[in-house]
Amino acid sequence: MNRLKFLDKMSQGGISRRDMLKASAAFGVGSVLLPRPVLAQGNSLVCLTWGGYDVEDYIPGFKEKHGSIPSFSVFGGEEEALAKVRAGFAADVMHPCNYSVQRFVNAGLAKEIDTSRLSNWKDVFPALQTAEGVMIDGKVVMVPADWGNSSIAYRPDLIDPAFVADPSWGIFFDDAYAGKVSMLDNELLIQIGAMVGGMTYDEVYAMSGEPLAEAARTWGAKGVNVSRFLWTDASEVQQAMASGEIVAAYAWNDLVKNLKAEGIPVEYAIPKEGLFTWFCGLTLLNSGAADEQLAYDFVDAWLSPETGKLLIEGSGYGHANMKSFELADPAEVAAMGLTDPVAVMRDAILFRNPPDEVQNELNRVWTDTKALKQ
Amino acid sequence: MTRRIDGLFWYAVLFVLFLYGPMMLMPLFSVNDSNFATFPLQGFTTRHYAAMAANDSMMAALRNSLVLGLGVAVVANVLALPAALALTRYRVPGSGPILAFMMLPLVVPSIVLGVALLVIAIRVFSIPLSLWTVAAGHLVICIPFAVTVLMSRLEGFDPSLEEASGDLGASGISTFLRVTLPLAMPGVISSLLLCFIISFDEFVISFFLTGTQNTLPVFLFSQLRFPNRLPGTLALGSLILVGSAILVILAEVIRRRGVKPEGGAL
Amino acid sequence: MASRSPGTGWRLLAPALIVMVVTLALPLAALILLSFWSQNGFEIDRSFTLSNYWRIVEPSSQPTYWFGIPFPFAYPVPAILIVKSLLMALVATAAVILLAWPMAYFLAFRVTRGKVVWLVLLTIPFWTSYLLRVFSWKITLGFNGAINSGLMALGVIDAPLEFLLYNPVAVTITLAHSWIAFAVLPIYVSMEKIDRSLLEAAADLGDSRWQRLRRVTLPLSMPGTIAATLLVFIPTVGDYVTPALVGGPGGTMIGSLIQQLFTRQDNAPMGAAVSIVMMLVIAALAGLFLWAVGYARMRRRMAP
Repeated sequence: MNRLKFLDKMSQGGISRRDMLKASAAFGVGSVLLPRPVLAQGNSLVCLTWGGYDVEDYIPGFKEKHGSIPSFSVFGGEEEALAKVRAGFAADVMHPCNYSVQRFVNAGLAKEIDTSRLSNWKDVFPALQTAEGVMIDGKVVMVPADWGNSSIAYRPDLIDPAFVADPSWGIFFDDAYAGKVSMLDNELLIQIGAMVGGMTYDEVYAMSGEPLAEAARTWGAKGVNVSRFLWTDASEVQQAMASGEIVAAYAWNDLVKNLKAEGIPVEYAIPKEGLFTWFCGLTLLNSGAADEQLAYDFVDAWLSPETGKLLIEGSGYGHANMKSFELADPAEVAAMGLTDPVAVMRDAILFRNPPDEVQNELNRVWTDTKALKQ
Repeated sequence: MTRRIDGLFWYAVLFVLFLYGPMMLMPLFSVNDSNFATFPLQGFTTRHYAAMAANDSMMAALRNSLVLGLGVAVVANVLALPAALALTRYRVPGSGPILAFMMLPLVVPSIVLGVALLVIAIRVFSIPLSLWTVAAGHLVICIPFAVTVLMSRLEGFDPSLEEASGDLGASGISTFLRVTLPLAMPGVISSLLLCFIISFDEFVISFFLTGTQNTLPVFLFSQLRFPNRLPGTLALGSLILVGSAILVILAEVIRRRGVKPEGGAL
Repeated sequence: MASRSPGTGWRLLAPALIVMVVTLALPLAALILLSFWSQNGFEIDRSFTLSNYWRIVEPSSQPTYWFGIPFPFAYPVPAILIVKSLLMALVATAAVILLAWPMAYFLAFRVTRGKVVWLVLLTIPFWTSYLLRVFSWKITLGFNGAINSGLMALGVIDAPLEFLLYNPVAVTITLAHSWIAFAVLPIYVSMEKIDRSLLEAAADLGDSRWQRLRRVTLPLSMPGTIAATLLVFIPTVGDYVTPALVGGPGGTMIGSLIQQLFTRQDNAPMGAAVSIVMMLVIAALAGLFLWAVGYARMRRRMAP
């Protein structure tokens, strides 16, 4: 489905059943031709979210206002969650990330968000308000909520001082660190390799065709061999870093905070090629049955500075509301490796979304690179 | 009873060590005063158990999985036992292809089964997702295991016992209850246990078919993003492991006491 | 017995078959249909095509080498992953059966009281969730794990052994542990019914313990052993979570490719085609295996 066409329809206030069917045809089970029944989920808000966010602490005031907290369905990976929503699971609000929200929009599942209905929107980091993924084709499709950096965390007690003096993403392609580092299981490895090779992020994020294949052969294959394992969940990499199994890893701020809290020496590097920022947020889905105002109240509650304080102090993630950093304990903010969140947000490389066909190619090239590892 | 202490006995001991050894690290680290499971140990704490008890959604997920596992195990066997009887005792035309069809869930990738069953539940039958839909999904993948185990028990048994019972005028049901079922019992128990652990442990199909009531594996996978919650899940695992082992052994001790009131020596 | 007619047989089969047809036939039909369609951007092109299958088998004059094995395909990834997954499953299944068989023997012939307790105790580790079991293996085999810490404390080694985790050996051990109950129970069940008088007769005829094992126990426990082999082998081929968690960067399996095609790569028709090819290969191997061990003859012999 053409994304622009879809957004036009979306702005006209609805997606036809035909479009929904087309979207769900991605899973092409023969029954897509059958009418799509309205599921009686009651009037309660149904939220599809990361496990751990399914508690009332993150939505202060919601229970007081509406009498009960929403029903939560939890997931651990967005891809599976997207597949579930596409196949017909009816939810009102979903918690995707900047790199996955576009797929929800493409699949015809997202609604445009009217930010004037959110009292906390004005305090959201300006860089996030207009970031790719929050806005797609000029329309807000996701309200940013939690964010963090992606950089290299390292054990200063175990690593070569040369790295500390001049930190570089090159560590993930350096034979001297073979079996001692861990990269995220993501095609980003290929792109970062190209950046180590001298390109800028803006040049590599939408790289495709022969240049991409070439980068996969040189950097991808190399990086896959250097990493001890490619991590898929935060628990896995933090455990390995805590035990000394690996001396450096692609990591979010929470790793630094969690290890420091246990008294394990760890530092967060600012690599010369740059440090990244990712963010996740809340998207309104058009499959839900609940009153829209409930969904807006839920999103607004998530944006409150109190939620941000909890997120920063509890899990070491940043929050989209600038005021939450004023509210949070400065020591906790520092423990995340952030001294000046506004400056970090300004200077860091915000992840960008390549066009769909490029993204699909990237995914394929990455799977193939891993499959061909010897 | 004389117990021979020979190679086989030591093998069994090693086997149990292999099975339980790594598992015993769970209780160990569940009382270790650190959020990470690494040596050296840091000191004793019960805080992870407090965190576990305070985690309502984890407890709810555990309850859901227990109910689901028990229900699925029973229903799968209720369906599989007659099927296994038919395939071993009766000359059913086309029993080969039927058996092959019943084994199919073993080959179908679980993501295919999960997504397809979700689409069918929602679009064909208009069933809202709940533990019932998960149960249906688990039933499909349990049946091949149940049928196989039961068939390997029933195959080759002398049918003359059942025939004798029939000749003596017992009805079909009473023959089944008095002769067939006791004969099949070791198979039934094994198959109940297997179906329970399949259902209790299944993630992919459960994920696609759950509504807002999560099963334990779905809940645990969703926790991976927050490493600080890991020790709480270790506490839960330890409790299940140690708790059920003690319960089972206790039940056996009580049963033996019942058999031999004098507390009979072995 | 008069009721031993096909009619009664069908009635006994019906409930299970109905459940399976409702839940399985539709997904399978959809999967087959889907594999003959194609993905065009975000839309599915519903015209019939063999392109997905052609892409899997399309030959190329320049073979891709994987551990020295030439794969003469234009897109060698599915073929390589199928071979890799089959090899992994074979090794893991062999390990499981070899480990399980003596244990099943112990349960059937040595344990005389409280057999149910033994059976339950063998399955309790599996009540703790897959994720926690894999995690336990990671802290057993890991860098600062139980084995390394233990050996270092004993002074056997100076530095932690790094080859314990994130390689095919770790995958085999973890898989063997995960599936062992699925082998012990069926093998035990088929041994349990072996008529003890046969063994006694063999003993009376002067057979040694090993001869009895080879001539009586082994053949009579074959149905259970065969069942266990298939029950472990078939699902292991498609398993991709264990290899991903403990196999290191080389842990990609055919199951991961299928999962990726259905989700991130957004190419469900290709995913369906790869699934079907995988299913056919497994079915063919299972059939070959049953033929090689003479399963049909075995069943006929045992049939009433």
